[in-house]
Amino acid sequence: MANARDQILDWAEQGHIAPDRMRAALDAAGALPTVDQWRGFLDGVLLFMGAVLLGASAIFFFAFNWQDLSRFAKFGLVQVLILVTLALMWKLGLERTAGRAALLTASLLVGALLALVGQTYQTGADTFELFAAWAFAILPWALVARFPLLWVVWLALVNLAISLYSLTFRWSWQGIPIVMAPENLAWLLFGFNTVALVVWEGLAAAGIVWLRERWSPRILAFASGGLATALAVYDIFDWHGFSEWGSPVWLAWMIAAYAAYRHWTKDLFVLAGGVLSLTVVAATFLSKATRFNDAGAFLFIGLVVIAISGLGGWWLKQVANEEEQA
Amino acid sequence: MKTMTREELWSVLRQATLVEGEMPAQGEACAPWFVRVMLGLAGWIGALFLLGFVGFGLAFVVKDQTTSWVVGAGACAAVAMLFSANRNGDFSSQFGLAVGLAGQALMIYAMSWSFEHDFTALALAIAAQQALLFILLPNFVHRIWAAWSGVFALSVALAGMGLYAFAPAIVTAGFAVVWLREFEHPLKSALLRSGGYGLALAGVQTVMMSGSLRLRWLLWNMGRRDAGGGEMVAWAGALGVGAVLIGIVLLLLHREKVALNFGPGKAALAAGVVLALASLKAPGVGPGAAILLVGYANGNRVLVGLGVAALVGYLSHYYYALHATLLEKSALLACTGIALLAVRFAMLRWWPLKKEGGSHA
Repeated sequence: MANARDQILDWAEQGHIAPDRMRAALDAAGALPTVDQWRGFLDGVLLFMGAVLLGASAIFFFAFNWQDLSRFAKFGLVQVLILVTLALMWKLGLERTAGRAALLTASLLVGALLALVGQTYQTGADTFELFAAWAFAILPWALVARFPLLWVVWLALVNLAISLYSLTFRWSWQGIPIVMAPENLAWLLFGFNTVALVVWEGLAAAGIVWLRERWSPRILAFASGGLATALAVYDIFDWHGFSEWGSPVWLAWMIAAYAAYRHWTKDLFVLAGGVLSLTVVAATFLSKATRFNDAGAFLFIGLVVIAISGLGGWWLKQVANEEEQA
Repeated sequence: MKTMTREELWSVLRQATLVEGEMPAQGEACAPWFVRVMLGLAGWIGALFLLGFVGFGLAFVVKDQTTSWVVGAGACAAVAMLFSANRNGDFSSQFGLAVGLAGQALMIYAMSWSFEHDFTALALAIAAQQALLFILLPNFVHRIWAAWSGVFALSVALAGMGLYAFAPAIVTAGFAVVWLREFEHPLKSALLRSGGYGLALAGVQTVMMSGSLRLRWLLWNMGRRDAGGGEMVAWAGALGVGAVLIGIVLLLLHREKVALNFGPGKAALAAGVVLALASLKAPGVGPGAAILLVGYANGNRVLVGLGVAALVGYLSHYYYALHATLLEKSALLACTGIALLAVRFAMLRWWPLKKEGGSHA
C-alpha cells in the first residue's frame, strides 16, 4: 500500500507529473479531502474542541477555589454539568461522535467533582488517591463505551496515580531508601504499561474491531519500551545498587517486540523505537566498558552509534519497501 | 483520503491523462516521519560523542576561538560535499548528520566568545548560520533541524529585543506560506517539506514558551525583567496570531474555491474567528489550530497529529501560564467551548449533510 500523497509528490519531483497538474493528480487520487470529508473534519474538531474546553474550564474553575461561591453552589454546578453531559450522551447514543464527546466531557467533570470533594472537606487524602478514584469512577463508562480515546485517558490517569503513589511513599516504602524510589516507579510503570499493551493487542487480535486502530497501542509501546530502556541504562550503570534485572528484561522486551511487530502485526513505529533503544543501550554499555579512559573511546562510541542508527535506518526502509510491495 | 497500491494509483492517474507511459520502477521508499525522528535523535547522540572526542582528544581546538570556528566550519563544509556526492547512503547520511551537528555546535561555541555580552546578537548570528546550513547541507533530517533551530534562535533574538509577543504570529505565518505553496513547486518539494516541518516544530515551541517560566528564565538571562513592550505589544502580538489564523482560513477557502457566503465558507470562517478571538488571551491556540488545519487541507497526517498534540499540550501548559488567574482562564475556555459548539450547531444548518457520495472541494 502506498500513501497516495507522498507517492504523487515523489513522481512529481522525478518529473513524471507536470507542476501545473499536481492539484489535479492529488484530487484524482483522493489524496486531498473531499467536501464531505471537510464537513466531517470540521464537525469533529468543533465538537471535540468544544467538549474538551468545557471540561477543562470546569477543572480550572474548581482549581481556582473561588471563595465567593458557596460549596453547595459549587457541588450543584459540577453535578448539574455531569448530569447534562450524561443526558446528552444518552440522547445522542455512543455510536455518534457527539455522544462520545459528551461522555469524554463527563469523564473530565468527574475529576473536577472529586477534586472539589477533597478541596471542600479536607479529607486528608493524598493526591494519588484523587487520580486513582477518578480512574475507578470512570472505569464502567470506559468498559461500555467502546471508545479508544476514553481508554487512553483512563490509562493516563492510572499512570499518574502510580507515579504519585510512588512519590508519596518513597520515604517509607518497606524501609527501602529514597534512592530506590525511581527504580520502583520505573518497574511499576513498565509492568502496568506492558500488561496494558499486551491486553490491547491481544483483544484487537481476538476480533474486537474498535481496538484495531494503531495510535493507542503505539503510545503504550512507546511508554513500555522507553521504560525498559531506562531500566537497562540504570542496570548497566549500576546506579545506586539498582537491580540486575533491567538488562535481561530489556533484552526480552526487544525480542518480543521484534517478533510481534515484525512478523505478527507489522508496525514500523515500534521497530523504529526499538532501533533507537538499541542505540541508547549500546552507547551506555560501551561508555561503561571503556570508562571514557581516552579520547579514542568517545570517537569509537560515536562511530558505533552512527553505525547502528545508519544500519537501523537502512533496515527500516527495507521493511517499509516490503510493506509497500505487499 | 484513499490508500491504494502504486499500480492502482498510476492507473488512476493515467486514465485521467495526468501521466503517460509505464509506471516508473519503484525507488527506495521514503522513510516515515518516526524513522526520521529516530535518525535525528541518534544523530545527536553520535554528535555528542564526537564533540567529546574533540574536547578531550583535540583540546587545542576548543581552547582557541578561531580554531574552533574553522574546524566547525570545515566539518560542515565536508558534510555538505558528502551529502551532495551521496544523498541516499544510509551510513553516510547518518555519519554526515552527526559530524555536521558537532561542527555547528563548535561554530556556535566559537561565536559565543565574540558575543559574550550580547545574547541577542548571538541569537541572530545563530539564526543566520542555521539558515545558511539549511541551504548548503542537502539532507532532509538536517534541514528539519536547521529550520527549527534557526527559527528558535530568531525567537530568542525577538525576546531579547522585547518583541517575543510577535514570535508565534511570525512563525505561524512562515509555516503557512511554506505549506500552502507545497503543491506549486513539486521540484522543490523535499526542500519545502523539510523547512515546513522545522517551522511547525518551531511553532509548537513558541506557543509552549508564551507566558511560561521558561520564557522568564530566558529573559532573565538576557538581562530583561519582562517580555518588554508592555501591554500594547502583547496585544499586537496576540492580534497578529488571530489575523494569521483568519488569513489561513481565507486562503484555504480561496484555494478550494469556496465562496464566503456559501455554507461551508461561513462555517469555516466562523470557527476561525472564534479560535482567533481565543488566541487574544491564549496565543497558543492559533498556531496549534493552524498546523491542524493546514495539515488536513494538504492531506498530511503528520501535521494533523502535530497540530492535535500542540493543542492538547498547550491546554495543559495553559494551566500553569502566568499571565492570567485560573478563574479568568476558566471563563475563556468556557466561552470558547460554548462558541465552538454554537458554530457547530450553526454549521449543521448552513451546511446540511448530503446523503449522496462526496465530490472534491
